[in-house]
Amino acid sequence: MPSKLPILYNLKKTHFWFAVASVILLIGLVWMVFKDSSREWKGYQRRFMAYMEQKAENELQEAQKAVDQKQLEKLNADLEAAKKAVAENAKAIKTAKGEFEQATFKADNAKANFQNLKQFQDSDKYFYEEHRVAGEIEQAQSYWDKIQKREVELEQAKLELEQKQAEMDAKKAALGTWTAKETELEREIARLTRDITTVESKIKKYKATLAKEILNAPMLDFINPSLRIQQIVVENLHEDYFFAKAEKVDRCVTCHLGIDKAGLEDAPVPFNTHPRLDLFLSANSPHPMEEFGCTSCHSGSGHSVSFTTAAHTPRNEQQAEEWKKKYHWEEMHHWADKMLPMQYTEASCAKCHQGTVEVPEAPKLNEGRKLAETYGCFGCHKVEGFERWKVGPGLEHVQSKLEPDWIVRWLQNPKDFRSSTKMPQIFHLSNTSDPASMEKSNAAIAGIAAYLMKHSAPVVLEEPPVKGDPAKGQELIETIGCLGCHTVGGNAANHHGPELSGLGSKVKADWLYSWLKDPKHYYAKTRMPNLRLSDQEASDITSYLLQDKNEKFESTRAPYVKPEAVHDLALVFMTGRMRYEDAEKELEKMSYEDQLQLVGEKTIAHQGCFGCHDIAGFEDAKKIGTELSFEGSKDLSKFDFGHVHEIEHSRHAWIFQKLKQPRIFDRDRVKPYHEKFKMPWFGFTDEQAEAVTTFVLSLQKQDIPLKMQKVLSESEQETEAGRLLVSKFNCNGCHTVDGHEGKVRSIIEDLGNAPPVLTGEGAKVREAWLYHFLDQPVTIRPWLKYRMPTFGFVHEELTTLVSFFDHLSNMKTNYIGDEMPVTSQEKMEAGQQLFEMFQCMKCHKSNPDPALSASFLAPDLVMAKHRLRSDWIVDWVYDPQALQEGTMMPGFFPDGQTYLEDVLGGDARTQIEAIRDYLMVFEPGKEKEEKPVQDHPAQQ
Amino acid sequence: MKTNKILAAIFTSTLLLWGVSPAFAGDVTGSVSFTGTAPAQETLNMGADPTCASAHSGPVYSESVVVNDNGTLKNVFVYVKQGLEGQNFPAPKEAVAFDQSGCHYTPHVLGVQVGQPVEIRNSDATLHNVHSLAKNSKEFNLGMPIKGMKLKKTFDKEEVMVKVKCDVHPWMNAYIGVLTHPFYGISGDDGSFMIKGLPAGTYTLEAWHETYGTQTQEVTVGADGSAEVSFSFAG
Repeated sequence: MPSKLPILYNLKKTHFWFAVASVILLIGLVWMVFKDSSREWKGYQRRFMAYMEQKAENELQEAQKAVDQKQLEKLNADLEAAKKAVAENAKAIKTAKGEFEQATFKADNAKANFQNLKQFQDSDKYFYEEHRVAGEIEQAQSYWDKIQKREVELEQAKLELEQKQAEMDAKKAALGTWTAKETELEREIARLTRDITTVESKIKKYKATLAKEILNAPMLDFINPSLRIQQIVVENLHEDYFFAKAEKVDRCVTCHLGIDKAGLEDAPVPFNTHPRLDLFLSANSPHPMEEFGCTSCHSGSGHSVSFTTAAHTPRNEQQAEEWKKKYHWEEMHHWADKMLPMQYTEASCAKCHQGTVEVPEAPKLNEGRKLAETYGCFGCHKVEGFERWKVGPGLEHVQSKLEPDWIVRWLQNPKDFRSSTKMPQIFHLSNTSDPASMEKSNAAIAGIAAYLMKHSAPVVLEEPPVKGDPAKGQELIETIGCLGCHTVGGNAANHHGPELSGLGSKVKADWLYSWLKDPKHYYAKTRMPNLRLSDQEASDITSYLLQDKNEKFESTRAPYVKPEAVHDLALVFMTGRMRYEDAEKELEKMSYEDQLQLVGEKTIAHQGCFGCHDIAGFEDAKKIGTELSFEGSKDLSKFDFGHVHEIEHSRHAWIFQKLKQPRIFDRDRVKPYHEKFKMPWFGFTDEQAEAVTTFVLSLQKQDIPLKMQKVLSESEQETEAGRLLVSKFNCNGCHTVDGHEGKVRSIIEDLGNAPPVLTGEGAKVREAWLYHFLDQPVTIRPWLKYRMPTFGFVHEELTTLVSFFDHLSNMKTNYIGDEMPVTSQEKMEAGQQLFEMFQCMKCHKSNPDPALSASFLAPDLVMAKHRLRSDWIVDWVYDPQALQEGTMMPGFFPDGQTYLEDVLGGDARTQIEAIRDYLMVFEPGKEKEEKPVQDHPAQQ
Repeated sequence: MKTNKILAAIFTSTLLLWGVSPAFAGDVTGSVSFTGTAPAQETLNMGADPTCASAHSGPVYSESVVVNDNGTLKNVFVYVKQGLEGQNFPAPKEAVAFDQSGCHYTPHVLGVQVGQPVEIRNSDATLHNVHSLAKNSKEFNLGMPIKGMKLKKTFDKEEVMVKVKCDVHPWMNAYIGVLTHPFYGISGDDGSFMIKGLPAGTYTLEAWHETYGTQTQEVTVGADGSAEVSFSFAG
């Protein structure tokens, strides 16, 4: 035993501090466990359960109210009585039960006996058959005898069994009479209180109990906790973690507990139901929750279960403030895929829905696409899948249309001339409004005007040959179809073409007249169609449009251009490709006019004017803007926020800001003039900028598996090609087509005078006719003043449109035409008889007298055989109102019945077919023409 | 207590009996006067259809305003607008006649009950179409090409008034008042009208004219069973 060593420390103190440390550690441990277990999402789940419990309690009250208490009381009383009766007759019941048991025993015995005999019988039958087949007659005979003998016994046993079973049933029924009432009453009560029972089990599910709390406690919560993280694993989609890919996991439903449950529409956020269960989440919607999850559409961090780290994004500043207070929310500055704010969610639709002009149920995205198309975004920015046309007028002959001075004043700010113009402002914006920049810009503008004048070829223009009447011109504009594309005065149904204002301060009569007579003469690629105006009509419209002058604009003067500014700008452009000294030398050799030309050409190239306008010398120029094909998934770090810190650090905030103030990211920056941002200002409203932002956000690089994408069939692709043409030529400006109401209809009082509704057109007209009609329109409806213009479609466009209408009506395109229906002499004669009897020619004349009132006019029936499908004619005559509500064409077969019982056996369908068959051979002159009396005889 | 209840029941049923008992029903009679100057009647040009033109020997006038010789207004539709709520009046089986003759609708204004048939007749040897512009009931547009042919149509919903026009002859139009009860009258050639068999009570009457719009008036049909009202439209 070693001697006691001296202790070098104070034992008592050590013990004391050791104790203290242990207590602190213990507290720390408890705190840690508690802290670890207390999660934000658990709070949401507790609140959800409390909410659901409360809701169920309310439902319980409702259910209890719904139950007829008197009836229930009575049933309960009856049940008591029945139970009492059972108790009172316990002895008798016991006897009955005993008898029943005895009978059952006997029946069982009889059954066993019967089955036993049957089993022997079957066995013997087997041996008998075996021996007989083997030819052993004797053995077979002995089995046969046995079988014969036993057959009698078996018969008897069967009778015995049936008798015993009957006895047993009787005893059972006797026993049943004692308890039947009780059972019946119990069933009745259960039925009456079924709702209550359901709600009660619901309450049980949501009620917080001690047992549940224990199961939710730390360390024990692995067994069967009632609070648990809910998640959807989307098998087909993957999350890219840079070095690994994992299946998409969305835990949003951990807190959004009622999102897929109908009936929680009014519940507080986040427990409320998704607003469109018909489209999303529910199992029978096109986007079930299990297949798509949440973040496929909403973005954000799907696996996070706290408000902030899920990357929730507020709708606006106000909501951000609210969230900070309520949820201690903060922006996940460096998280790339933040949730899309609610107003941009539609951007996600395009992840799977590609290749269509419109995405169903995504109005904002569609509006954004349309705006991008209308405002010519694709002129500068390449976007895959959005190859479009140049939206501005061609400038290859502009010297015949405009004065250079007008161009200079226009380019200062086009909206000063016409506030509704789609031409953006390019110069004198926030980053170029300092005096030095303005000098340069004015030099550039002068250069553009000079270049355009020199590099455009004149066209032959014709002066109006007759004097125009402005009043008639106005009437024509309002009635023949100009309003199908243009806004004129207060008539603003369409904004497809430019608003027709201030033309007197822009163009001259010869240009306008020639343009109206044949737009393609001035610009071959124009989308403006030819309305086939007479000389008088074109002169009238010209005189009316030239009346309108913009006096304010006329009073403006082109700014003075400093020759040094032209020189300096030319120098900047030249030093881009040669040494400064060489450039200086080169410039010295050039005249001022040449310098101006150079500045003009380089400015056009720099600003990309050719993106919207055809300009000579820029036929093969490349688009100047950034490609936007994947802008919506571009890395956030690649967006240059410059010194603009007041906006949110997100893609959508940047894009929105860029659209609203395209030069803002140059703020507080030092840059030479020609390196400044050059995206022009379109003057978008907040709503428009939001829609375009939605569209840009929708442009994403995706690896969505093909089976999850909307893949277009061949016919769908053809339909989409047609839709694009419909959009390009604004068919919808006049016609109701493809589910969109014709726009001019909103300003036409009597819709009988509106351009025709084209719903079902494919089922109505024949392909060959439609092809030729679209190519060279003719008058079909003589009462209509609106005129179908000649668009000058090329062959591909014509066939695309014909197929488009066919697809919309589920018709197979067939230019040969359907076969002539089989008819008979009898039918043809009846057809003619009916045709004359119904006086079809009263309205459907070939050469209507223009003096007749409009309601006498109907389409020329000679056209019908080439124009209309034979099936359609039958449907139409059968019930015109069903195909076109409000039509002036009367029905001759009320309720599908005919009132001519002696024609073709009185069958309506056969009579209509006869009319159709006659129509197929009908030629003008065959009918008896009535001579209209022009005036009343008494008055002559 | 019990006796009180019985008394109340007797009282209520008596009241109810009173309400529907025809013994206490009466007739509302009245006339529609016209003040101011009558507009010049528009002459119709039926020249576009020789059949129509030959049906008349003298000039034909539009019926949009017809002022009678005694200074009263014709074709005013007077009906009970309020006061009959909750009561049911079965639709009569007999049809209301509506004729197209001489390229005119006769009568120009008519009343019909919901579900009661209107018998539309064409007495002209030309094509007419009867185009109902009903908003509450289903619109119909029937061609009637044969002289003497008849069609029956009913309306499913109340509507004052349903306009009916002929697209072949744009001057032809008529108005049909569709009601859930039979209590209406139309001012005739002397400007008078009569609403027959109206149960005792207080009602709001409305008088409708195609050019001059509507007017309302309260009327009480007393136990003695009759009442008189007069409307006046100004030109």
